[in-house]
Amino acid sequence: MSADHKKVMVIGGGIAGLTAAWELSKCDVAVDLVEKSDHLGGHAIQYCCKATEECRQCGACSVEKMLKNVVEAPNITVHCGVEVGRVVRNGGFEVGLQASSAAAPAAAPGCDQRYESNPLACAAAHKFSKNNAALDCGRAPADLTVDAIILASGFAPFDATRKPTYNYGKLPNVVTGLELERGVRASGRVLRPSDGQAPAKVAFIQCVGSRDERLGNLWCSHVCCPYALRVSELMKHHNPEIDITVFYMDIQNTGNNFPAFYEKCKQDLQFVRNIPVDVYPMEDDRLRMRYTTESDGTPVDAEFDMVVLSIGIMPGLDNQQIATLLGIGLDADGFFQSAESFNRTATANNGIFLAGTVGGPKTIAASMAHAGQAAYEAMKYLGGAE
Amino acid sequence: MTDIKQTDMEEITIATDVLVIGGGLAGVRAAAEIAGLGYKVTLAEKSAALGGPQQSPGALFGLSAEEQKTVADTIQAVSAHARVDVLTQTRVTAFAGVSGDFTVTLATSGDVVRQQKVGAVVVAADFTIQPLNAAYGLSLSDGVVSQSQLDALLADKAAKARLGGKVVAFLVGFGQEGNPLVMKRVMKSVVALAAIEGCTVYVYVNNIKVAADSLEKLYMEGRGKGAIYFKLTEAPHVSPDGKAITYRDLVVRQDVELNPDLIVVEEALVADAENRQVAELLRIDQDAWNFLQSDNVHRFPIQTNREGVFVLGASRGIQDLPAVWTDAENTAMAVKGFLGNGTKRVPKGKAVVDNGKCTFCLTCYRCCPHGAIYWVAESNKAVISPVACQTCGICASECPMDAIQIGGFSDTELKAEFLGNLAGGDPRIVAFCCQNSAFEAGQMAAQFKMTLPAGLQMVKVPCAGKVDLDYILTALAEGADGVLVLTCHEGNCKSERGNTYASWRVEDAQRMLVEAGYEKDRLRFATLASNMGKEFSTLLMDMEARIKELGLSPLKN
Repeated sequence: MSADHKKVMVIGGGIAGLTAAWELSKCDVAVDLVEKSDHLGGHAIQYCCKATEECRQCGACSVEKMLKNVVEAPNITVHCGVEVGRVVRNGGFEVGLQASSAAAPAAAPGCDQRYESNPLACAAAHKFSKNNAALDCGRAPADLTVDAIILASGFAPFDATRKPTYNYGKLPNVVTGLELERGVRASGRVLRPSDGQAPAKVAFIQCVGSRDERLGNLWCSHVCCPYALRVSELMKHHNPEIDITVFYMDIQNTGNNFPAFYEKCKQDLQFVRNIPVDVYPMEDDRLRMRYTTESDGTPVDAEFDMVVLSIGIMPGLDNQQIATLLGIGLDADGFFQSAESFNRTATANNGIFLAGTVGGPKTIAASMAHAGQAAYEAMKYLGGAE
Repeated sequence: MTDIKQTDMEEITIATDVLVIGGGLAGVRAAAEIAGLGYKVTLAEKSAALGGPQQSPGALFGLSAEEQKTVADTIQAVSAHARVDVLTQTRVTAFAGVSGDFTVTLATSGDVVRQQKVGAVVVAADFTIQPLNAAYGLSLSDGVVSQSQLDALLADKAAKARLGGKVVAFLVGFGQEGNPLVMKRVMKSVVALAAIEGCTVYVYVNNIKVAADSLEKLYMEGRGKGAIYFKLTEAPHVSPDGKAITYRDLVVRQDVELNPDLIVVEEALVADAENRQVAELLRIDQDAWNFLQSDNVHRFPIQTNREGVFVLGASRGIQDLPAVWTDAENTAMAVKGFLGNGTKRVPKGKAVVDNGKCTFCLTCYRCCPHGAIYWVAESNKAVISPVACQTCGICASECPMDAIQIGGFSDTELKAEFLGNLAGGDPRIVAFCCQNSAFEAGQMAAQFKMTLPAGLQMVKVPCAGKVDLDYILTALAEGADGVLVLTCHEGNCKSERGNTYASWRVEDAQRMLVEAGYEKDRLRFATLASNMGKEFSTLLMDMEARIKELGLSPLKN
């Protein structure tokens, strides 16, 4: 049995791609990791630690750890700022890489001197992780010859402007869950975008883009309840006086410990089983929402300092293009279709495997497990098992 | 792994056979994959047959005929595999040794059948199904059935036909919080019932757990076929005879009563009650819900606190079959990574016991979170397995005789590091940082050019559990104006309890400081994660400000 001297291309350097690359590298399989942006870690490297007096098992630190593993692994070559332009099946795969349009310029004025002058911009300028420092995304893309491909190109966060009544993008204090986490990661706490002050009253609106019949998005994104509740508890930990309301349809679990965690959340937060339709501007950049109470149906007019839209996991924007390149199919929702019912890494094109949210919404933990499975399947395909 | 500096490596031969405990679908899948990699597998199942205690996985997991065939084929293939030794009605009665060199005793109905050396152990426990009728004040009867009983009715053509024209009501999410697999069972049967001519379906439900592939669509399918879901946050009132269900409708603001012909009460899927014994036998940590894995991200997905012991499927949570398949393949990958070809190269002197100092008190054996320490009866000395040891150093700090040294992090090396750098800008702050969390955060803060104290000296330790009381006191005595011990958050320590040991030592040292007339605030304990660069900066600047208030250390020479 041997997968030695074989090479695998992993498309996408988010948590699934990093995990797949690392697992293969541990089995002495050389990896070319292709990432279209200028940093590794994808969306997940932008998430904050949500520990209060104890760890909440969100997995954000696992991304940091996996990123370090990958950049230090001698048999993983990272190609950043590039995307796959051409794939020819030829026993293995001949792959043409091209410069990506998605690689953002890393310039952020002032970050050489003082981080605190603009934490958000500086965190982005440093590519969100110290472990991304050595990445050189300026090299000319090369062509690759590989024996198998793992597709880990991830997801697109829901574009909240598609729900125009929330006024996202127009009102400064309407933010997405991703922006909220990025802010905590950069500044260490939650601040109102309009004035940089700590908010006293915050609302979370769940299922923004998910479980939405009108948009045709008939799936739950798995991660939004966990991140909203964990960040809420973190805010409560920073400021016990803060007033947080969670507008929801059905609360989803965080993990085995969910029953205990949810009990604590119910003590600390207000839950309203009603998804408000409109967010209106008020004075001082405050926000107003209307909803009816569940207990007696009374209409309530409430004001908030900040409204967080718990945006969900959508299919990657270039999924169709990638599907065509690789000769594999998408499901009705636009995620990549798995070819087997139990092994969800399999595709219709033997030698190409799915890892992480390309196949549908997943938590960090589930993405890592799925990516480990994809690496194992690739290794088996390369002759590492019967 | 830690970055031990030694260049000297030694080769250790380990056993390569694998024991899989539990012959349910998870155990069968893991055994098949591990055998496929070339290892010999013993598959021990306590019941009489493989496939798990659930008599009909088809109904339980909502499988199609084709999927049921895949499951049956998988079981058949394992039974026939030349490298898999299937032992039914067999339990593990004794377990000894260390990772890579375990000795396991297997017994059938109490008789010892064999004693065997294995390098790795895989635990594939099944979950247990518990009807929750009592939570609703109901007894099971012809008119009140559990989810499993309904599944049986639906599998029986005649019984299914008798549900035509009937009103069926489900109660779910009030007897437990539930999970997607519980919900999937309900939704599958809702769809089946709604397809029966004249059958009307009502579902009284709390949180609908749809965070799994395709469940939202299954929910919509049932509703599309006419099933009505009442989403409530409190359980409806159910008459003890099961003849009436009443709930407060918030739209029409009045009580609404339903008189169903059949009530289906939810079932909980919980960890196997025998997990506790398995955990004790194998010396692995559990979570608060009796699963065989602590709730710690370092264990993602199938690792335990012991090297070479892996847990999958319902051993670690309630999971649907695709996740069981995922777990099984991750387990095979991890087994291969651990066993390799049976020869392990490990750094020489990873953790060493000084036999001259060891008094065989076995403190190290008891405090080792990785089950890496054993003893040799002839010499009465503790021995640390270089295969099992993860070099956290908790034993080294706890050893009352200072008889244990960790490679790359010996007392001499660590002290030289912080003592050698104590000269320079004031105030001098020594921060002992766990290499898995706070040290990473500190490096991030420095690299991102966040504000940090000019007199900061970071000392990397393999785990905060390695921070000896002696280090803290020596740092203060030798000129540090302030000392911090920075660890992982509770529940995030790679060695489970290193942060707890560190916090105890800080408390002890603070008490000693106060008794000696010094300020308690010169010493601080805090928790951080590797991605908390900003919090590291804030914490350190707070510390510097406090030390400036207190003034330079009176101990400074």
